Amino acid sequence: MKLVKSSVCGDVSFNYTPILNGVFCLLIFFVLTAQFMTLEVEDVVLPPSLTAEPKDYTQFRNVVINIIRPENPAIVVMGHEHTYRTLTEHLKSLNESAKADNAKMNVILRADRKVPYEDVARAMLAAGNAQIEGWWIQADISRVEKATLKGSP
Amino acid sequence: MRVKQPPKPLKMQPPLTPLIDVIFNLLMFFLLTPSASAGEGYLTTNLPKSAGPVAGIKPIDEVRLKIELYDVGPNGKFVENGRNDYCSITVNQQELGGNFEALQALLEGMRERGLSPNTAILISPTMGTLHEWVVRAFDSIVAARFSNVQFAVPYE
Repeated sequence: MKLVKSSVCGDVSFNYTPILNGVFCLLIFFVLTAQFMTLEVEDVVLPPSLTAEPKDYTQFRNVVINIIRPENPAIVVMGHEHTYRTLTEHLKSLNESAKADNAKMNVILRADRKVPYEDVARAMLAAGNAQIEGWWIQADISRVEKATLKGSP
Repeated sequence: MRVKQPPKPLKMQPPLTPLIDVIFNLLMFFLLTPSASAGEGYLTTNLPKSAGPVAGIKPIDEVRLKIELYDVGPNGKFVENGRNDYCSITVNQQELGGNFEALQALLEGMRERGLSPNTAILISPTMGTLHEWVVRAFDSIVAARFSNVQFAVPYE
């Protein structure tokens, strides 16, 4: 009787490479999506600042007020344009829901450097009327030329 | 006669495709996770809390240092129906032109002469003053180590 040796033999080992691959994919996915979920920002050219510092905004409930288009300024919050009145109402409702959750509201102003102060003042008034105390102005700290801190563009 | 051939040596090759995949994942991870806003910072202040119909806005009734900012043209004068992209600074009615370094130096001198760092400093820009000049005035005040900065806004 001929006995045929089975050719299927050997150790069974676990292939870790695809699992590591999957883990890193998930990690990158959650890191990137977490960044995009925190602040709703528009594309503006921020004013330069020597004294602005990176801060931890995660301790507050933040609302980002973007002021875009210096030639025809608009106040944009979460992708929607607002007038002064709608901004006031929106901030009031956000502040009320934050108070209900025992959270502290904070406004982050992200205005283009060439926007006139009138529009910034409008946003400030709206935040004041909504009884929001925290007011952070976002600035560019990456390309400040200390020697040229003069009142010229 | 049948000659048995020696067994062929096993060719061992690590799986390259998953390895390259993981390397690219690591590369993307380290390229993208440094914050996209690494070049951005914040100037922090608090709006005053008050009750009433204009909650959050205090009438200006305290003695304070007042920094006025005016939007002007290149020659230092306001241009009617023109671009006023420059800034002129006045501190308690003392004119400084457009020099924010002079503003900072003036404030530092005041502090050295005994002015309290908690003195309320009011930034009062004209409505046409560009946002970047307001931020630079804020910068100069903070650099001179004053902490109580207020902004003048028009009532509704």
